[in-house]
Amino acid sequence: MNASPLVELERVSRQFETPGGTVTAVNDVSLVVRPAEIVCLVGESGCGKTTTGRLLTGLARPSAGRVLFEGRDVWHTRGAEFSRFRRAVQIVHQDPYASLNPTRSVFQTLSAPLERHRLARGSDTQRRVIELLKLVDLTPPEDYLGKYPHQLSGGQRQRVSIARALTVEPRFIVADEAVSMVDVSIRISLLNVLIRLRDQLGMSCVLITHDLAVARYFGRQGRIGVMYLGRLVEVGETERLVADPAHPYTAALIAAIPEADPLLTRGKTRVPLRSAEVPSLLHLPAGCSFHPRCPRFEAGLCDIVVPELVAVPEREVACHVAVRERAGLVTAGR
Amino acid sequence: MTATLDFLRLLKSRPVGLAGLIGIVLFVVVSFVGPLLVPLDTKVDLTAIYAPPSFAHPLGTDYQGRDVFNQIIWGGRDIMIVAFLAALLSTVIAVTFGSLGAVVGGAVDSTILAITDVILTIPRLPLLVVLAALLRLNSILILALIVGALAWPSLLRAVRAQVLSLKEREFVEAARALDLGLGHIIFAEILPNMRSYIAISFILAMTQAIYAQAGLIFLGLVPLSGTNWGVMINLAWVRGAVFFRDSLPYILSPVLAIALFQLALVSLASALEDIFNPRLRGAA
Amino acid sequence: MSILAVEHLSIAYQTRRGAVQAVRDVSFDLDQAETLAIIGESGSGKTTLAQSLVRLSPRSATVTNGRILYRPPDGPQVDVRSLDEGRLRRYRWQGCALVFQSALNAFNPVLTIRDHFADTARAHGMGDFREQATELLDMVSLDARRVLPAFPHELSGGMRQRVLIALGLLLAPQILILDEPTTALDILTQRQVIDLLRTLKERLGFALVFISHDLSLAAELADRVITMYAGRIVETATVADLFYRPRHPYSLGLLRAVPRVSGALGNLDSIPGSPPDLIRLPPGCTYHARCPFGVDDCLKAEPPLLDVDTPAHRAACIRWQDVADAVGSFEPAAVGV
Repeated sequence: MNASPLVELERVSRQFETPGGTVTAVNDVSLVVRPAEIVCLVGESGCGKTTTGRLLTGLARPSAGRVLFEGRDVWHTRGAEFSRFRRAVQIVHQDPYASLNPTRSVFQTLSAPLERHRLARGSDTQRRVIELLKLVDLTPPEDYLGKYPHQLSGGQRQRVSIARALTVEPRFIVADEAVSMVDVSIRISLLNVLIRLRDQLGMSCVLITHDLAVARYFGRQGRIGVMYLGRLVEVGETERLVADPAHPYTAALIAAIPEADPLLTRGKTRVPLRSAEVPSLLHLPAGCSFHPRCPRFEAGLCDIVVPELVAVPEREVACHVAVRERAGLVTAGR
Repeated sequence: MTATLDFLRLLKSRPVGLAGLIGIVLFVVVSFVGPLLVPLDTKVDLTAIYAPPSFAHPLGTDYQGRDVFNQIIWGGRDIMIVAFLAALLSTVIAVTFGSLGAVVGGAVDSTILAITDVILTIPRLPLLVVLAALLRLNSILILALIVGALAWPSLLRAVRAQVLSLKEREFVEAARALDLGLGHIIFAEILPNMRSYIAISFILAMTQAIYAQAGLIFLGLVPLSGTNWGVMINLAWVRGAVFFRDSLPYILSPVLAIALFQLALVSLASALEDIFNPRLRGAA
Repeated sequence: MSILAVEHLSIAYQTRRGAVQAVRDVSFDLDQAETLAIIGESGSGKTTLAQSLVRLSPRSATVTNGRILYRPPDGPQVDVRSLDEGRLRRYRWQGCALVFQSALNAFNPVLTIRDHFADTARAHGMGDFREQATELLDMVSLDARRVLPAFPHELSGGMRQRVLIALGLLLAPQILILDEPTTALDILTQRQVIDLLRTLKERLGFALVFISHDLSLAAELADRVITMYAGRIVETATVADLFYRPRHPYSLGLLRAVPRVSGALGNLDSIPGSPPDLIRLPPGCTYHARCPFGVDDCLKAEPPLLDVDTPAHRAACIRWQDVADAVGSFEPAAVGV
């Protein structure tokens, strides 16, 4: 899996001006997404995962750092090449009730990009739209052509959103909490559609979610990236990361999440945090931003030096203590 | 077709709006079809000046013995045409440039806003008076042009605000990600979601235009010949119709005609607002 | 002795297209100090049910049948639907308090938190609320000095949810009903709220009912679970029975549709199809169209709740035995079951 990267974030940051001051929503994040790869970005609210998603799709511009598409800096390309990038990376939104234009039918929504980019014409357009509807399991497709969003369920709308993203034959889809507002019983089928598209079309997919369980399911053949207060604190292969988290925050999340299994969940050992307060993005703690809450906190180190995302066996992690403990494994010959 | 039937059904449960729609239709039919059936009464009969209402003259006669009712039938057409054209002009300008500025932003938006604000600060009636003095307002088209050209600024600001909020909706962002182009985003994504807003604004712009016309004509600034409710009021006033009890129908009829037509427009607009806002629709 | 008994409750909404049968013939008991989870997805009727328990249903909703019996430990049994204004006010908040989701629109944006407490206290004839309020805020791990003068938008989602819980407990109710208490909250905040509810319940001894689509919440806190589908109860069981020995295809479907973080991932799958139209209900069992166990007999009549295994465990399915056999091979991820 060492193909050259499709989209890469190279030390990107994104800052916003607010009445209270400058907020750094995304702070020095580096992430590589390869062709046909699945990555889940997990974190709690305010961690910057949504902004990172928008940086990946070109809907937001970084304040620092570079966004590379096939090796080229997208914000330093001209018209046609930027358009090519834009079309290669598509987004599926969270809210099924806001992501489709209520005044346009399914056919109108799906045919517009096809005709605009000359990907289909005339009678061909309807054929292509039907193909797309089949790809997202909306069958029989003919029944859906004339429907308007208010006539569809939440799950059906999300499928139309995915189909719309597919019209321009993207290499990469960013799904921003795309299953969070959909009924629990159909989340899996939506995620399976995306996984199948990866298998069939070689499409990469980044799923942004606050639900670790969903991330584990979706990313089981890919990677998970954990974000905290604007930084990427841990990245690694899903099953390994969930079984053996390196960063204390990841460990706390995994221990805290309630599970749909009474004995399992009531018997889980929590990771106690030193403080329940989440720092504001306007006043980030010095050094490692997790240090006020971290059970592995070491004074004199964690509150002074900002940990970089460092590669250790099976993982990248931004934690002084974890790096020290795990990098040692390499030298110990394991 | 089904949309129209649906709309009429919604209107049925709102009697005020339905009355408004019926009123508008009645007025329009009388004003446009009436003149085809009833010739204009130009016969001067000096023996019947300001005759009181009777079977032959349901609204009495004017200062030259001509039938008032006849003039009412003929008097609405010009007013309605001007109102319609003026509203059309101001709505088109406001919607096009308001949405353009909101979507494109930057220098384009600032320029449009600056021009809008300048015109907004100029008092309208005095400006109309000045324009009336400078131009020859002898055709209804020019009148429509002027009334419309001065009405768009406030509408533009309102449209712009609406578009600014719609611009942030996720389906608009998806259209941007799909590279669908500025024209598509404005005309296919954003504006169709403002249909009701634009329709109501259009109707209210018509009422504004009627007031503007009536004001100008009443002030005698518009040398329109031919019969016209506004001209009737002007003539009635100038000819002293207010001083005679028998001649009151002559001055009241056009005033009532205008007022009732305005009322019908406003009633329809308020029912539309109710219909198009699902949250105001009540328990249904 | 149960503190709340709902008997054959049916509620319908009037809409333009017809009457929506939101709640259909729902019966259940709530024991003192018990935790009951009502699990359902959109269209299941769970929120309508919760609102009706405190008579906070919207005007378009009509209770077409049934009784809601409240049996306080220190008073006679009353039918909530027949309470007059004064007694209804006492019932709401002192007998039974409903805590909404922590969204901003549960609060009045121009009132401080102290004002919210004051309003509630005043409405229920409580005099000096400050001591109680401070104590309750402390119990939910909030600093009263910081929180009371604040406005709702100044607090985070998790803090707001905790304030709402404290507000709900102000008059020491016998029953606390929570509507989607952890939805839209982050993982660590969810954990706080869950642990908090557990502690509060131990200390104050109220009966807890929560409505949610989140099965893991039930797994954490519930003594008993009710699953609802298309306005009806389809299964009622102890928490262990529901999670390890489900007998209704919908409960089984839900369990199979929820991924886990720890332990084996298992064979996950969605439930195909969508919930039925509550205005024109299909004949027979409303779950039939989506059910892998469905047979023609299922279309004959809507199945009543049948005893399965034990009398405390009931499921509305004529094929529950087949479900039991299928579950036999369904492995719970926990060790030592």
